[in-house]
Amino acid sequence: MSLLRGLLGMELIGISVRLFLDFQEKPASLGTFFILIDKEVIYICPFNGPIKGRVYITNYRLYLRSLETDSALILDVPLGVISRIEKMGGATSRGENSYGLDITCKDMRNLRFALKQEGHSRRDMFEILTRYAFPLAHSLPIFAFLNEEKFDVDGWMVYNPVEEYRRQGLPNHHWRITFINKCYELCDTYPALLVVPYRASDDDLRRVAAFRSRNRIPVLSWIHPENKTVIMRCSQPLVGMSGKRNKDDEKYLDVIRETNRQINKLTIYDARPNVNAVANKATGGGYESDDAYHNAELFFLDIHNIHVMRESLKKVKDIVYPNVEESHWLSSLESTHWLEHIKLVLTGAIQVADRVSSGKSSVVVHCSDGWDRTAQLTSLAMLMLDSYYRSIEGFEILVQKEWISFGHKFASRIGHGDKNHADADRSPIFLQFVDCVWQMSKQFPTAFEFNERFLIIILDHLYSCRFGTFLYNCESAREKQKVTERTVSLWSLINSNKDKFKNPFYTKEINRVLYPVASMRHLELWVNYYIRWNPRIKQQQPNPVEQRYMELLALRDEYIKRLEELQLANSPKLSDPSTSPSSPSQMMPHVQTHF
Amino acid sequence: MEFSELIRTGQAQAELLRGPEMPPLRGTLCVTGHHLLLSPGPQATPDLWLLLLRSVDSIEKRVAGDAGTITLRCKDLRVLQLDIEGVEATLDIARSIEALSSLESVITSFPFFYRPKGLRLGEAWHFHPPERYYKRIARETRAWRLSEANEDFSLCPSYPRAVIVPRAVDDDALARSARFRQGGRFPVLSYYHAPRGTVLLRSSQPLTGRQKLRCAEDEELLRAVLAEARPGARGFIVDTRSAQAAKQARMTGGGTEAKAAYPGWKRLHRPLERGRPLQESFVRLMEACGDPEQSMDRWLSRLDGCRWLSHVKEALSTACLAAQGMEWEGACILVHGAEGTDSTLLVTSLAQLILDPLSRTMAGFQELIEREWIQAGHPFQLRCAHSAFSHTRPKHEAPIFLLFLDCVWQLGRQFPLSLEFGEGMLLALFDHSYASPFGTFLCNSEKERCLCEVRTRTHSLWSGLNQPKEQRKLRNPLYVPNPLAIWPSVEPQSLRLWQGLFLRWTHPPEPSEVAWEKVWQIATDQKTEGSQPTDSASEPQP
Repeated sequence: MSLLRGLLGMELIGISVRLFLDFQEKPASLGTFFILIDKEVIYICPFNGPIKGRVYITNYRLYLRSLETDSALILDVPLGVISRIEKMGGATSRGENSYGLDITCKDMRNLRFALKQEGHSRRDMFEILTRYAFPLAHSLPIFAFLNEEKFDVDGWMVYNPVEEYRRQGLPNHHWRITFINKCYELCDTYPALLVVPYRASDDDLRRVAAFRSRNRIPVLSWIHPENKTVIMRCSQPLVGMSGKRNKDDEKYLDVIRETNRQINKLTIYDARPNVNAVANKATGGGYESDDAYHNAELFFLDIHNIHVMRESLKKVKDIVYPNVEESHWLSSLESTHWLEHIKLVLTGAIQVADRVSSGKSSVVVHCSDGWDRTAQLTSLAMLMLDSYYRSIEGFEILVQKEWISFGHKFASRIGHGDKNHADADRSPIFLQFVDCVWQMSKQFPTAFEFNERFLIIILDHLYSCRFGTFLYNCESAREKQKVTERTVSLWSLINSNKDKFKNPFYTKEINRVLYPVASMRHLELWVNYYIRWNPRIKQQQPNPVEQRYMELLALRDEYIKRLEELQLANSPKLSDPSTSPSSPSQMMPHVQTHF
Repeated sequence: MEFSELIRTGQAQAELLRGPEMPPLRGTLCVTGHHLLLSPGPQATPDLWLLLLRSVDSIEKRVAGDAGTITLRCKDLRVLQLDIEGVEATLDIARSIEALSSLESVITSFPFFYRPKGLRLGEAWHFHPPERYYKRIARETRAWRLSEANEDFSLCPSYPRAVIVPRAVDDDALARSARFRQGGRFPVLSYYHAPRGTVLLRSSQPLTGRQKLRCAEDEELLRAVLAEARPGARGFIVDTRSAQAAKQARMTGGGTEAKAAYPGWKRLHRPLERGRPLQESFVRLMEACGDPEQSMDRWLSRLDGCRWLSHVKEALSTACLAAQGMEWEGACILVHGAEGTDSTLLVTSLAQLILDPLSRTMAGFQELIEREWIQAGHPFQLRCAHSAFSHTRPKHEAPIFLLFLDCVWQLGRQFPLSLEFGEGMLLALFDHSYASPFGTFLCNSEKERCLCEVRTRTHSLWSGLNQPKEQRKLRNPLYVPNPLAIWPSVEPQSLRLWQGLFLRWTHPPEPSEVAWEKVWQIATDQKTEGSQPTDSASEPQP
C-alpha cells in the first residue's frame, strides 16, 4: 500500500521505474490504485520513431516503459492531461503501425500508440482511458477525491483570507471586512469574505451588485502599505444599449475614490479592447462612461478575450509540436501572436502597478466578468508591487486568493475530467499568467524565491487532477463538494519539499517594485515549458545551476548529519565550546545560518 | 604629423546625453589627440568624462540657431548626443573628431601613449606563445614538433614565427606546402585532442587553380597527420565554403583538395557567411535594435530578417561538426575556407571550447584568443575598422570576432557553470577589439605587430584584464570545472539574441551588473560558509 502510494507521489522517474518493476512481479489491485491495463504497445515517438514498450494504465496515470534495449524512454502521463482520445486506422488499415490510438494532451503534446490489429486489441485501452480521463462523463469521481497521499504539511492551511488581509493592514479606518457573502448570496462566484469601503453599507453593496455583471461588485484586492491607494477588482457595469446608469454604483466608486486623498481621480482599467467593450453593450454590459463617472478616468488595455488566447496557443503548438519550425522560426513565432498577448497583459499590469505606486491613484480593474483578464492584471500588478508574493508561500497565497477564491473558472477553462475537448469555454488564461510570471523571473533573476520548476509543477498539476487545488469554478462550488476535506492540496506536495523549488539566487528585498520591460525585445518564448518534450531542444536537464544547488544542499545535509554524529561521539568533551578551534561545536552557528 | 594640426578648436560648453537611464552631464568639452573630454564645473561631483576618439564609429552634426548638436555613434554600439553652444564651435569639434577618429596610422594610436599606473610595459606579452601550447602537446605525443621555419615571416606573413607541424615533415617541405596555399598558410596544428589522440588543423585553400595543380609536400603533410594519429585513421576537411564556391575559386587560382590526391581525407562543405553579408547582417541588426519608432509587433520578423541568429547557428553547427568528428569518429580535422583567417578561426576556436575544458578557464580562454585569433593572423585592424554605424562603404570590415563572442555567449547561456569567464569578459573583448587603449588587438598579423614594436611599446590587454580589481566583472561566479565536452543545442529555439551586447545601451529591466553583483555575493557567501564544514570533513571520523 505504501509502495503504491509512493508510486503515485513519486516525481523521480528512476525510482518509479523500480516500483513498477515490483508492481509487475505481483500484480495487485489495492485501495484506489489499480493497474487497469498492462500490455505491449508501440509508442510512435515523433522524435525517435516507433518504440516497443509496455504500457500500464492506472486510474491516475498512463505509464510506458520502453522494451527496447537501446532506449530508456519512459512516458508518465497523468490521465487528467488528456483532452482527446481518437482511434486511428481501422481493423483493415494497411501499413505499419496504422492502427491504434491518438491522444491529444493539454500540455503541448500528442501521444500516438500503435497496437496489433487482431482481436480489437485497442478496445480495452480506449475504453479504460476514456473512462478515467473523462470521469465526469461516466459519473465517476475526479481522481483527486480518491487520492490518499499524505504529506507533512497541509497545503490547505496556506491561505487564510483574514490573515492575508491582516498582513496588508486590513481592516483599517477606511476599509472593512464584510461577511455579507458568507453563504454566497450576494455573488456566487466571489469568496465568502470581502473587503469593501467602510462607508459602504451592506445594503449599498447589494444595490451595486445588481448593476455589475454576475454581481461581481468592486472589492479590494490589495492596498499599498504606504500611500494607502488600492487595487479593486470587479466585472463590467450593466450599462446596455440604452446607456443605463446606477446612482449606487456611481456613489460606490466615489466612496472608493474618497478613501485616497492624494488624488481626486479614480482610475478604471478596462482590460478589453475599446471595441469589445462597446460591443458588450449589446449583451447588456459596457463600461463606465465619462458622464456618469466624472471623477474617474477610464483606460482600455487592449487585451483580447479567451477565444483569441486559445487560438494563439494552438498556433504555438502547431509550430513546436511535434516538429519545431526550423526556417524562419522567429517569423513563425511572431505569427502566433502569443508573445504579443503576453506583452499586452504585462503592459496592462505595469500600468496598474505604476498608477498605484507612482501615480498615487486608486485603481479599479475589470474586463467583462472579471474572472480572466482581471485576475491576470490584479495578480501580476500585486506581484510587481508586493515582494511578499514573490516568495513561495506568498505566490501560493496570490494564486489561492486572486485566482481560486475569486472564481477564475478553472473547471471550465481547463475542462477537468470533461470530454468536450472543443468546448469554447476552455482557454489558457492561467497558463498565460504563469508565462508572464516566468518572463518577470527572467528579467529579475534574484527577485523570486521560486524557480522555473515551481512554475512548471503548478502547470502540470493544473491539469493532472491529482490535487483539489484547481478543481471547480468558484469557492461556493468547492465548499459544496468539501474539496478541502476530501482532497489534497498541491501546496502540500510543494511545501513539503520546498528546497527543490527554490531559486538559488533569491535575495529578499522588501518594498522593491519590479517593473519588467514589456517590450518584444525583452520577451522570449518559454522554451523549457512549451518545447520541453522535444529532446533536441532540451538543454541539459535538470538545469545545471539548480542541479548544483541541489548538490550543495545535499552536501549540507550530509555535513549536518556528520556533525551531529561527531557531536554525539564527542559530547562529554564539548561542554566547553572553547576547547579547540577546530571543534565542531564552533561550526554550529555557521552551519545553522543556512536555515 | 602633429595632432594639433587636426584639432580645430580648444574647447566649448556642452551638454552630454548618454541615453535614457543616465543623467545628462554639463561642462567644458575639449578635444585632445586621442580623447574627447568633458570636464564638469568645479562644483559638480562626477569626475572627468572621457571618450577614446578611436571608438567613434560615425558622427552626425546639426546646427540650429546659435547652438549645435553632435550625435556620436560608437563602436561599442553606444549612441551619445552632445549639445554644444556656438555654431562654429560645433562644426570645429565635429571636424576635429572626424579627422582624429579616422587616423589609420598604428604607431600614433593611443596604445602607444597609454601608460597606466600599476602596469609595466612588456608584461604579459609573452603570456601565450605557441611554444607554451607546444609544451602541453609534447607531454602527450611525440608526433608533432615546433617549427621556426617562419622565423622571418617569409613562408607566411600572417603566421607567427613558430608553428606546430607533424614531426615527419621537414622545414623544406613546409616551405613548398606554403607556396601551394593561399597567403602561405600551410596546414598547422590548431588543437590536439588528447582523449582521442586526434588533431584539429587549419590552413587556407590550396592553390589548385584551373589546371588542378598538386603539391606532393602538401599531400605528404596531410598523409603524415593521419599516419601519426593512428593506423587507418580518417580525416575530414571542413571547407567553410559551399561546394560550388570552392569549385569556382579555381578560376581565380584557388580551389580545394582533390579526393584522389589526399587519400583518407573526406571533404565536407559547410558554407559560412563572411565578409560583406556578415557586416550587413550586423548593421541591419543594430538598426533594428536601435530603432525607437519601430512597431514592436514586427520585432521578431525583423530580427529574423537580419539573419544574425542564423549565422550564429551555422557557426556553432560547423564547430560541432568538427568537434564531433574528433570526439566521436576519432578523425583528424582540417578546417579552411579561402584565406583561412576568418571563418576558419571561428570554427577551430569554437570546436576547442566545446571539447577542451582548459580553454574554458579564464587563462585558457585568453590563451585561445591569443593563439587562435591574434597570432593566427585574424586581420583585426581591417575587420574591426568600423562597427555597425559607419556611413562609409565597408571595405574589409566584418564582425567575425563578434560572431565568435556571440557563439561563446550562447555556450555560456546553455552551460551556465562551465565557463570560468562571464558575459563581462565577452563584452570587454568586444569593446577592446574595436577600440582599445591596449595594444593586443592592433595590426593584422604578428609580422605587422613586430614591425610596429607593439609588444615593447604598448600594454597587453591581458595584463590590464588580469588585474585583481577587474576580475569580479569578468569572471563567472558559478564556475565549476566541467571535464566533459559541452555540446550546445543549435536549434533556433535554443539560441537567443545577446541582449547584454546588442541591447546594452537601451534600458534593461535591471542592469545586469546589479543581478550579477548579487549572484557574486551569494556564490562567495556559499563558498565561505561551505568551506567551514569542509574542514570538519578532514577530521578523524569517530
